[in-house]
Amino acid sequence: MRRGRQRRGVLPAALVAAALLAALPASRAGAFPVGGRDTVLPAGSELDEDALDRPREVFRAEAMGGAKSYLVRLGDMAFSAPSLLGGMARRAGIACNACHVNGAGNPRLYIPGLSTRPGTFDTTGGVFNPPADNGVLDALTPPSLRGARLLAPYGHDGRFASLRDFVRNVIVDEFAGPEPSPAILDGLVAYIQDIDFLPNPRLAPGGALAAGASASERRGEKLFRKPFPRRPELSCAACHLPSAAFVDHRQHDVGSGGEFKTPTLLNADVNAPYFHDGRYDSYAQVVAHFDRVFALGLAPRERQDLVAYLTAIGDGVRPYERDGVEPRLKEIGEFASLLATAIPAGDREVVALTVATVGGELRELTEAFPDRKDATVVDGRTERATARAALKERVLDLRRIDAAVAAGHLDEAAADYAAWRKLMASTVPEALRAAERWSLFNPDLHDAHYGALRLLSQQADKAAR
Amino acid sequence: MQSFVCAGRLVLGGILLAASLAGARAATIDESVERYRAYIIGNVDEALAGARGLRERIAAKDLAGARRAWIEARVGWERAEVFTGGFVSDLDDKIDGWPNATTGFHAVEAALFVRGTTDGLAPEADKLVLHLTDLDLKVHQMRLSGQGMLDGAARLTYEIGESKADGGESRLSGTSLDDMVNNLAGLEQAYSVIFAAPLATADATLARQAQAQIERLSTLLTVGDLRRVDPDRVRAASEDLVVTLQAAAAALGLRRPTLEMLVQ
Ligand code: HEC
Ligand code: HEC
Repeated sequence: MRRGRQRRGVLPAALVAAALLAALPASRAGAFPVGGRDTVLPAGSELDEDALDRPREVFRAEAMGGAKSYLVRLGDMAFSAPSLLGGMARRAGIACNACHVNGAGNPRLYIPGLSTRPGTFDTTGGVFNPPADNGVLDALTPPSLRGARLLAPYGHDGRFASLRDFVRNVIVDEFAGPEPSPAILDGLVAYIQDIDFLPNPRLAPGGALAAGASASERRGEKLFRKPFPRRPELSCAACHLPSAAFVDHRQHDVGSGGEFKTPTLLNADVNAPYFHDGRYDSYAQVVAHFDRVFALGLAPRERQDLVAYLTAIGDGVRPYERDGVEPRLKEIGEFASLLATAIPAGDREVVALTVATVGGELRELTEAFPDRKDATVVDGRTERATARAALKERVLDLRRIDAAVAAGHLDEAAADYAAWRKLMASTVPEALRAAERWSLFNPDLHDAHYGALRLLSQQADKAAR
Repeated sequence: MQSFVCAGRLVLGGILLAASLAGARAATIDESVERYRAYIIGNVDEALAGARGLRERIAAKDLAGARRAWIEARVGWERAEVFTGGFVSDLDDKIDGWPNATTGFHAVEAALFVRGTTDGLAPEADKLVLHLTDLDLKVHQMRLSGQGMLDGAARLTYEIGESKADGGESRLSGTSLDDMVNNLAGLEQAYSVIFAAPLATADATLARQAQAQIERLSTLLTVGDLRRVDPDRVRAASEDLVVTLQAAAAALGLRRPTLEMLVQ
């Protein structure tokens, strides 16, 4: 859950209020406000890091009643570690998780010069790794990684048969990162392979509609399996195999500008924008595309039926969950639990990466409790300060642990870590819960705060011009 | 802006030297704090002079001059943050509030650097001068303590480690890196005048460590452009230094500094 960072700056309240009304279409400010000539990412960049609703992540191991393995937890943590990447991504604090939020996609991701529309990104754009620049703006959607273990080959064009090779390529070639250690790479692969689809009770085993489907969905299912009139060897289901997560592991030219792999349709309700370049916002547009390209001659009702069917098979239970103190602490606790293994093993690399990543998350969580200079929040000063102090102290504890491990004092580090866990299970959650009402997890304060910041960045862009 | 930074570093080198010589006479911490008062007064005077200049340039409708004066006023202010963060956070809010305060430096910044006008800013500049005058008074009269200075130093050091990847605090004027550099300069001042000598006596290893960590932070911030700052390294260096300052507290017979001002 890599999110916002310390954001400072001031504007007169009246100006803020006026511009808020004028400039913000939605109630959620929903932006990573960067602004001015000093930012690492281009002005106008949007990572949606402050969204209050976060994609829900389901793990295979947990779904089967087990616990996440060390390797999966290591990958999960590395997935949120900006220091894994190099160059600009690292300086901008971008980790894998910025684009594949909790293993899903990021429909609001927009980086001027690298995105052709929200929810796309050009991985060969040269900003993050100049040598990788292919000179063309060919922005792609970051695919959801739910069920990725079933979805080889990798990349929209399916150019990598191996997930491990793809991930290495992302780190080293696309984001100019240092060569990752085999352990970290194994961890990332294990983590991605453990991200499951959200369960969908509307589907029976084998990918057929479950009992209780509507008449329209049933008609849609039939159409989905029906041979195309002009190309009888084809049907939707011939490429999107219902029994195989709706993929065939092959690339096809479906009239979208080249050969692309068949994407899964599971949980796809939350995967818009669709197609490799995110050109379509809705199933209706996708169905219209196939109708046109393959001359299917669908009647309006048939199109509706197909859309109803896609919506049924693309469903998922509770796709989002509310951000707040509890989910943050849970994730922080899980990431930090790597130390229980890495400290006794004297694994400096994992200790350092964990300390950097967890420390970063703790610092971000601190900023969810505005300090006294922030006039958007008036009450709960003492509670907020207590929460901030508790989190800052835990950041420093981790720094001490890192130093102890680097100096070979493993017993001391282990004792410090045990003390840290105790505080993270008692004092810290108490302090955070007591202050949560006055935190940015409160939607009203959230909107006021980020609204002001969004305005500030717009102002800063103007000043820089 | 660059010139402030360089000048600051030269001056500091001198202070460091003077401080360690003075330290050989084993002043108590509270005596050193008294000596440090002169530096804070200097910083706040500088901020106040800048704010007065700002007021004057605004009255003269001189936009370029007002922008320069704003930047000059910031230098002293940011250097004084060891003190303001440790002792007078109520004034701190009025002078340096964010992200939507109605008064203070950043309100003026928005007008000067975004709207590009001095119109209507006179009352705002008056208030800034007023608050800084108030601060000046407090700096002269307030009882200072080694504990408060160490608290302020630890808090400020931690803050320097916060990511500025989004443009930072003074993004409208594009001087966020200067803020950080001046924060560090103030910190260096406070450390060398107040704590360096007693710490060298109490625990020479810790003293060397603190010195090296301050220098490391300084190197990491001497990059000329906020975009070239490596946030991970700055963060780690800032946290290392806070950890050292916390350890120094025990060696100096002070309480471990807290990172937030909890009682007000
Ligand atoms: C700035 C946005 C961004 C970041 C950061 C990012 N990705 Fe991606 N990711 C994308 C895009 C865009 C694609 C599609 C690229 C393509 O098709 O070549 C993609 C594709 C993938 C795929 C292929 C999925 C499939 O089903 O084909 C995997 C796996 C993946 N990324 C993992 C990672 C990992 C691991 C990291 C961190 C080391 C990462 N990504 C960081 C944007 C991003
Ligand atoms: C020849 C194989 C093939 C057939 C037949 C086919 N698809 Fe696809 N489908 C694809 C490919 C390949 C893409 C990705 C295109 C791209 O990325 O540009 C795709 C994309 C989609 C998407 C968008 C998913 C996403 O996440 O972007 C949906 C929805 C979809 N198809 C539904 C259908 C329906 C409904 C039919 C029948 C009317 C159908 N497909 C027929 C191969 C096929």
